[in-house]
Amino acid sequence: MDRRKFIEQAAAWSAGACLATPIFDVQAVMAAEKNPDKKSILVVAVGKDYSSLVETVLKPLGGMSAFVKRGDNVVVKPNIGWDRTPEQAANTHPEVVKAVVRQCLDAGAKRVLVFDRSVNDARRSYARSGIKAAVESLDDARAKCEYENKRDYVPVKIADGKSLDEFEFNRKALPPECDCYINVPVAKHHGQAKLTLGLKNAMGAIGGNRGIIHRDLHRRIADLNLVIRPKLTIIDATRILLRHGPTGGKLEDVQVLDTLIASADTVAADAYATTLFGEKPDYLGSTVAGARLGLGEMDLAKVEVVKA
Amino acid sequence: MKRLLRIPWRWRRRAAQLAALALLLWLFRRTAYSGEDQLTGGENIFFCFDPLCGAAAMIAARQFIAQFWPALVVVFLTLVLGRFFCGWICPLGTLLDCFHRILRPIARRTNRLSGGAPSRLRPVRYILLIVVLAAAVFSFPLVGLVDPFALLFRGMTFWGDPALHEVAYAGFERLDGRWGAESIEPFVVEHLLPFRANVFRLAGVSAAILASIFALELVARRFWCRYLCPLGAMLGLLGRWSPIKRLPAGTCKSCNRCAELCRMDALSDGLSAEDCTLCMDCVDLCPRGIARFAPRRPSSNPRPVDLSRRGALAGLAVGAAIPALAAAARAFRPREKDPYLLRPPGVDDEDSFLDLCVRCGECMKVCPTGVLQPAVLESGVEGMFSPRLVPRFVFEQTYCELNCTLCGQVCPSGAIPRLSEQAKLARPIGKAYIDHDRCLPWGKETPCIRCEEMCPVPEKAIKILNTYTIVNADGFELEIQQPYVDRELCVGCGICESNCPVEGPSAIRVRRVDAPDPGTETKLEPTRRGPYPFRREG
Repeated sequence: MDRRKFIEQAAAWSAGACLATPIFDVQAVMAAEKNPDKKSILVVAVGKDYSSLVETVLKPLGGMSAFVKRGDNVVVKPNIGWDRTPEQAANTHPEVVKAVVRQCLDAGAKRVLVFDRSVNDARRSYARSGIKAAVESLDDARAKCEYENKRDYVPVKIADGKSLDEFEFNRKALPPECDCYINVPVAKHHGQAKLTLGLKNAMGAIGGNRGIIHRDLHRRIADLNLVIRPKLTIIDATRILLRHGPTGGKLEDVQVLDTLIASADTVAADAYATTLFGEKPDYLGSTVAGARLGLGEMDLAKVEVVKA
Repeated sequence: MKRLLRIPWRWRRRAAQLAALALLLWLFRRTAYSGEDQLTGGENIFFCFDPLCGAAAMIAARQFIAQFWPALVVVFLTLVLGRFFCGWICPLGTLLDCFHRILRPIARRTNRLSGGAPSRLRPVRYILLIVVLAAAVFSFPLVGLVDPFALLFRGMTFWGDPALHEVAYAGFERLDGRWGAESIEPFVVEHLLPFRANVFRLAGVSAAILASIFALELVARRFWCRYLCPLGAMLGLLGRWSPIKRLPAGTCKSCNRCAELCRMDALSDGLSAEDCTLCMDCVDLCPRGIARFAPRRPSSNPRPVDLSRRGALAGLAVGAAIPALAAAARAFRPREKDPYLLRPPGVDDEDSFLDLCVRCGECMKVCPTGVLQPAVLESGVEGMFSPRLVPRFVFEQTYCELNCTLCGQVCPSGAIPRLSEQAKLARPIGKAYIDHDRCLPWGKETPCIRCEEMCPVPEKAIKILNTYTIVNADGFELEIQQPYVDRELCVGCGICESNCPVEGPSAIRVRRVDAPDPGTETKLEPTRRGPYPFRREG
């Protein structure tokens, strides 16, 4: 092989490799599912038994089977970001996650994946949050609590993004690998975002350099939710972190509310959860940005709030 | 019939070798976070068994280290049995034997080409041993550069394990679930592979050292053990007067078979007791069946040790000269203390830390985030391969986990103290400082405070000093929060430094507790401007 041939071939191969990198465009699929005329329903439930509370909060929405169809590949996405215990309120409560997963299994899900992209060491976060043990205690081969796998991150175009054009997303959270994405964030304080609720929980389903998101945090969070589209958002406000979030660590900063909020509309759920912290819905920039993008309804007067 | 049922000694020896190797590999895999904050213990047992590491650390630090008690067992057994450890236990020896077996067709030829045993090299291991121990007397730790377990364990940690992880994952990606890969992948990932492939500094150097030890098999069998290994030299000297000896103490007149077989070349010139590792090859393969090991009174006229008085003196001189030269160089040109040279949690005094540390690499293996990296020359030659924190390395998440105390649990010499979670918080690794010129909210009017978000201190050691709002080109309000570090609270974990989104060096960096305040922090008054042209990034 002479030099010219070698260079030609090398160039051809590299061009091929570059072009072969798939760039997903899932928004077209998503857009068809939007139904702007329907009024958002939001359910609030209070109770000490978190396992039955999940069932209570879902009943007015038609139960889990309204979201999970038989044979679905389901993703349950809690917050497992930190090496913190359940009572410290930095992660979603394991009992809530367990109950949600159980409901999905009962609805006939083919597979239920539970994952997050932890900030602290994933093994430590999965263990100390109690979530890995809670999912494993269901003892069902269909339910899996998985660590992130770098090969799952794929670049996705964000066509209507106001601040982001493209980002890496976890393909396991997107169609066709995921039929039903259930968002189970914990409600807590956050220094820059003010609060972290439903929309911000999408940060655990993306790859890439997450630091970049922080430069225009609210709009970029909303942009991410153009791709990550939960069919159901259940905000865990069983205990909320009032200060020193998102990490917390002091029990004096935690307030026990025994509350769950469920809605198919993440923006409405975030708007309502903001009021638990004594603030108005527009306190949260990401809620405002999300409503502007048409992701949901932030005016609680236009939302049907059901107390279960 | 009785003879048929007898298990040959060589098979027993091989079984012991493989068992010890399997134990090492099993312990190696267990040297990791596995869901429990306390390890079961014993992960570092091979280093505790190592009398060379024990002696060097105790001499250098001038203290008795109780954790090395298993080394006394090895010393006692060696006094009784001779240098059995190298033949029956040492995993590096076992790996060399396996390697030789694979390469036998080539190695036979190359060994012959190299002209057999270069017996002039025999004293080298003794000289290395004397240099290491003499330097230890002057508190100049060199043992980690030559100890066989340290070389093997570091090679496995820095290079072997990450390579295994990458190769296996690339394979699984290529297979993508075909050919049964889907069914074995979970098992392999959970039980055989490391959780993540950490990248280490000096990985290439460690791999090259280990590779040369293996390559020397092509020159002579067990080249490392025969000529270079200082631990082998130490055990050989200890076992010299053991009452158990091979008989006859030499070859027969008509047959030289055992001398040809001997992997340690212990029979070429009478029996060299310091070289015989009791591998039992000569017993099992003796054509006349007369070779055996039996208790015997020590000979009044043993074969002399392969070390001349001149060689011993030269070793002593070199061992003393290296520390002296290093001290002179330091006096001539004082080394500036690196303010970023962060040592593992609980380490207060740099000098006694370097004396105690045997460079085994256990702490770097067990560290869940890979923030513990070997020092190169930041603390001189004597600090090479000692662990330090590098909070901003190849991976995003290299920092010290607040609740993790594993490094102190695996340290065989106590160089890194065992700390409870509470005690660890009370002994900060360093203190963070913000560079206002590089920090996005301070220098670029860009919202960030990722450092504040990450800070694991329950009360947040990073707080907000100023908050103000700008309006960007799209008419969207952006809140700028300017952070500062409360150094009373800061524990120096480095998660802020590792997560800072600024390209290049982080805008927030952890400095040693004893490093001077760099004075880069200025409490700027916030400027108000708008609409502000906000650049789109990412």
